Amino acid sequence: MKELGIVVKLVMKEKKDVFYSILFGFLAGMATVSLFANSGYLISKAAVTPPLYVLTVSIALLKLFSVTRALTRYAERYYSHRATFTILSNLRVHFFERLEPLVPGIFQKYRSGDLLSRIVGDVESLQNFFLRVYYPPIVMIIVFLSTIAFTMYFSVEVAIVLILGLILTGVIVPGWFAWKRKNIESKLRVQRGELSTETTEFLYGFLDLKIHQKQKEKEQQLTNASNSYIEEQERDGVRGLFNHSVNQMVSLTVSWFILVIGGYLVSAGQLDGVFLAMLVMISLTVFENSTPMAVFPSHYEDSRLAASRLFSVVGGQKQDTNKSSEKPKELKQLDNRDAWTIEMENVSFAFPDEKRLALDNVSLNFPAGSKTAIVGPSGSGKSTLLQLLLKVYEASKGNVRLQGESIDQIENKSVWKGTNIVLQHNHFFYGTIRDNLLIAGDELTDEAMLQALGKVQLGKFALDDRVLEHGQNLSGGEKQRLAIARVILKGSRLWLLDEPTSSVDALTESIIFQHLLEQAKEDTLILISHRLTGLEQMDRIIVMEHGKMIESGTFSELMDKKGYFYEMKQIEKSVFT
Amino acid sequence: MKKLKEKAQAQKKHRAILLFSSLLLGAMIVAQAYFIVTIVDRIFLQGASVSELLPEFGGLLLVLLGRGLFTYINGRTGVRMASIVKKEFRAELLAKFRRNPMQASLKGQSGEKVSVMMDSIDEIEAFYTKYYPQMIQTTFVPIIILIAVFSVNWVSGLTMVITAPFIPIFMIIIGQKTQKKSEEQMEKLAAFSGRFLDTLQGLSTLKYFGRSKEQLEGIRESSINYREATMDVLKIAFLSTLMMEFVSMLSMAIIALEVGLRLVIYNQLSFFTAFFVLVLAPEYYTSLKELGSAFHAGRGSTGAANRVTSELEQEEQPVEWGDNRLLGSDSPPSIEFKRVGFTYGEGSFALKEISAEIAPFKEVAIVGKSGAGKTTFLHLLSGLVSPSEGEIIVDGRPIFSYQESAWFDQIGYISQNPYLFSGTIAENIAVGGTSQSTRAEIVIASEKAGIAELVEGLDDGYDTFVGEGGRGLSGGEKQRVALARAFLKMPSVVIFDEPTVGLDLQTERILQRSIKELAKGSTIITVAHRLHTIKNADQILFLAEGSLVASGTHEDLVTQVPEYAEMVAVQQGGDAS
Repeated sequence: MKELGIVVKLVMKEKKDVFYSILFGFLAGMATVSLFANSGYLISKAAVTPPLYVLTVSIALLKLFSVTRALTRYAERYYSHRATFTILSNLRVHFFERLEPLVPGIFQKYRSGDLLSRIVGDVESLQNFFLRVYYPPIVMIIVFLSTIAFTMYFSVEVAIVLILGLILTGVIVPGWFAWKRKNIESKLRVQRGELSTETTEFLYGFLDLKIHQKQKEKEQQLTNASNSYIEEQERDGVRGLFNHSVNQMVSLTVSWFILVIGGYLVSAGQLDGVFLAMLVMISLTVFENSTPMAVFPSHYEDSRLAASRLFSVVGGQKQDTNKSSEKPKELKQLDNRDAWTIEMENVSFAFPDEKRLALDNVSLNFPAGSKTAIVGPSGSGKSTLLQLLLKVYEASKGNVRLQGESIDQIENKSVWKGTNIVLQHNHFFYGTIRDNLLIAGDELTDEAMLQALGKVQLGKFALDDRVLEHGQNLSGGEKQRLAIARVILKGSRLWLLDEPTSSVDALTESIIFQHLLEQAKEDTLILISHRLTGLEQMDRIIVMEHGKMIESGTFSELMDKKGYFYEMKQIEKSVFT
Repeated sequence: MKKLKEKAQAQKKHRAILLFSSLLLGAMIVAQAYFIVTIVDRIFLQGASVSELLPEFGGLLLVLLGRGLFTYINGRTGVRMASIVKKEFRAELLAKFRRNPMQASLKGQSGEKVSVMMDSIDEIEAFYTKYYPQMIQTTFVPIIILIAVFSVNWVSGLTMVITAPFIPIFMIIIGQKTQKKSEEQMEKLAAFSGRFLDTLQGLSTLKYFGRSKEQLEGIRESSINYREATMDVLKIAFLSTLMMEFVSMLSMAIIALEVGLRLVIYNQLSFFTAFFVLVLAPEYYTSLKELGSAFHAGRGSTGAANRVTSELEQEEQPVEWGDNRLLGSDSPPSIEFKRVGFTYGEGSFALKEISAEIAPFKEVAIVGKSGAGKTTFLHLLSGLVSPSEGEIIVDGRPIFSYQESAWFDQIGYISQNPYLFSGTIAENIAVGGTSQSTRAEIVIASEKAGIAELVEGLDDGYDTFVGEGGRGLSGGEKQRVALARAFLKMPSVVIFDEPTVGLDLQTERILQRSIKELAKGSTIITVAHRLHTIKNADQILFLAEGSLVASGTHEDLVTQVPEYAEMVAVQQGGDAS
């Protein structure tokens, strides 16, 4: 409920469209009721040979009502959908504003890669909030109240029955079903997840299943998962139908009561018989406005869940942001024109929910202008080390200092501004090569960009070449090189490179490194390397295993030592690629 | 749509229920009008009292409830039909994937196939829950209403018959226009709606470049553009509803005018007839209009059904097994390739004319550049795919003349990226054994595969959850799990895809040691990437571009095959660096 409050606020930003949606919804509803009321009246009046002008006026009204109905329906649809999409845009912007300060830390908290698509899906599903949850009940209530006020003029009893009908079909029946429905959505979600897992395992794990003859078993599991998912969908569908039918039957029964009461009043002489048909037509029509209430419970529940999921993502960390915003002045800025020194002192770190230390009491110095390579098997803590420097994580123990200043006293932005970062996976945006390079700086000239592309051996690219989402039209090596070009253009003086050329062939790699070392001559550079070649030029090589530094020294020192690095080098020599 | 209709028609019982309840629904609608009109007529014009009309009131109540009931039955039948069809389609797809599994994963389309299995099949639902029941309803209900109207007033009936076609005609004309328009907009829409996800995914990158704040405007702008593009499509759809509304309104106005004139001026009709026609006319047109919206819902299903059918119609190279038992159980089988070729279709051979013999207990290395067909060779050898040409002989008989289980009992396959199923580590290792594998056996296998230490260091030990939603394992760790599977199984033919990158020292040593251990009782076929593996091999199969260039020992090949010698030289040249 609380979460939907935020959504309601965003809805209210579009007052004009909201107002028009309700207004035209109301007019359309009233036009329909009036149309049928009028036709009931007209036909009854006609039967008792009235003066012709009554008929003429009624027929004219009939036309007016039907034209009004058609046009206002159109207007209602137009404005309500327009409002919906504007609200969607507001939601995206709002959510982005809340999410932005939490990045990149939040991505580590939620490991599953589909967090973002889930966010997008949830935002998307909130578009039903205005369209199906927010304004239809309002329209329904106004139309009902106006109709009831109108019938009151003819018969209080009929009006009372209508009120009861409104409460039943608009509140009690949907409420009852909403209450019964509460757990279903989550159950469907779980079962869908199970089926998705089984299908994924069947297809991706096929080789292992086949070899170990577990394929039949898996097929059975998949079939079972599919069947129970389908059965749950069926139950859900039937429940929805049942809900709808009950609502329909209740509203028809209310009309029946009105006919009984109306009939009684006419025979008792308390109501002019000419209005009987009209009242019946009114009640048959006005309940059309409560039809949307049949789907209200499910949409309400969907919206509520979507909103609470969304805001649990950005809301859960609220305190952290508050903490940092309370004392923003204390945070320091570093001068990014200097090459920084980095010190790590007895640093330990464990990932949330893991006992094993990813970094175990590491002490390292990276003097200003030094070039260091970090090598070691995957999972040895190399990337974690970079993430601490990037303030993605905070060290659980020990100190990390930049320029002698503790890193948690330095503003995030200042750290990032002074750093050239190339990660294992770099993001590229839908657009052109130029768009993706311009991220590094607005004032970049085409010349500078082309020069950077040349340095990473991507001279074949034109700045106007298309880049698809995630750079999916680029090869792995091209993406890595583009990422390097981007940081070359950024020109900061701390280089943090995490296996920047793992998909680039050895020759190209060494050319790129010459350019990099050239540009970074005076800068501090930390390179995580998957290959052990070309490390002779580094001032120092650090070998890590199980979160600890186990060896360090220059290339020749380590080779002479015949330790871990030497052995790794021997294996690398013997590996064919 | 044809396929979906066939599936619907195959469900004779459900179809009969739909026909029957649609007929009754039509009857209910007519009866409802009859009772209401009779009651109003009797009370209003003939001065009857409510108590005189008890049978009519009773009848009306039953009819109203019946109307709800039959709507419910119709809907429910649709939901049932959808469930059955979804189950059928899933089963067909599963059977298809089972017959044709490796092609999918070889072409890297597994993700697509998961989506077909999940989403496309779910999307089919609307055809049966929305379109099909409505179509049958629309076939019968208007006809029944027409019959009723004709029986009291043929002029109105004729008007209805003449005006009816305008609704579908308008629907078709406008539908075609919308489709064109929406197809034009589709790409635009996809780009706009993708923008939000793209920005979220790139948020870390943007922050590192200090660019995140600027994205707000971009998101707003693309959202608004999305709104405009969507509204363009929607406006046409709304307009089509408006037109339909006008058509039905105009038709109803004509009918009203006709009955009104004949009632008042010419006195040709009774009040009963006129009112009866007026009540039925809207029901008639509503039913026709509903088909339009149902048609819309059904169209989405058609696209999904096409995706499913095209998947089902894909060419396959099924693997059919015989029922021979394998012979000697103490010695591995001898394997012979006789002019074996394999193609993924379209005439491009992945392997051609491979002839080779693999004697029991030999260590065979397969060597070649990437793309030479090494993995395909392994798939053929292990019986996962069947050759397009030639045959593979095992112990003197074609491989596929044996029982499937008899063959796979002999095979161990350690791929570069073994699949972890969601479950515990113990369960994942037990995949290799029979269902009776004890924990003790699993622990022994783990020890041999050098993973016991790592597993026991985890909080939950062998009961730690891995795979989807569980703890992730590194590539080296996964290969050790696969090794443990092999130790549990003790196959007589071990197929091993050696890692292309250097792993950590420990895993490297374990791999070497384990393969040696496994080799004691089996034939080992390795796609080799390490010089020592190649040098130790009894026999090397040297592949290039899908052909077997040469076979022999390392010494043979170095001296006799220049291409091979060159490859080794390049590798050792790389050494020097």
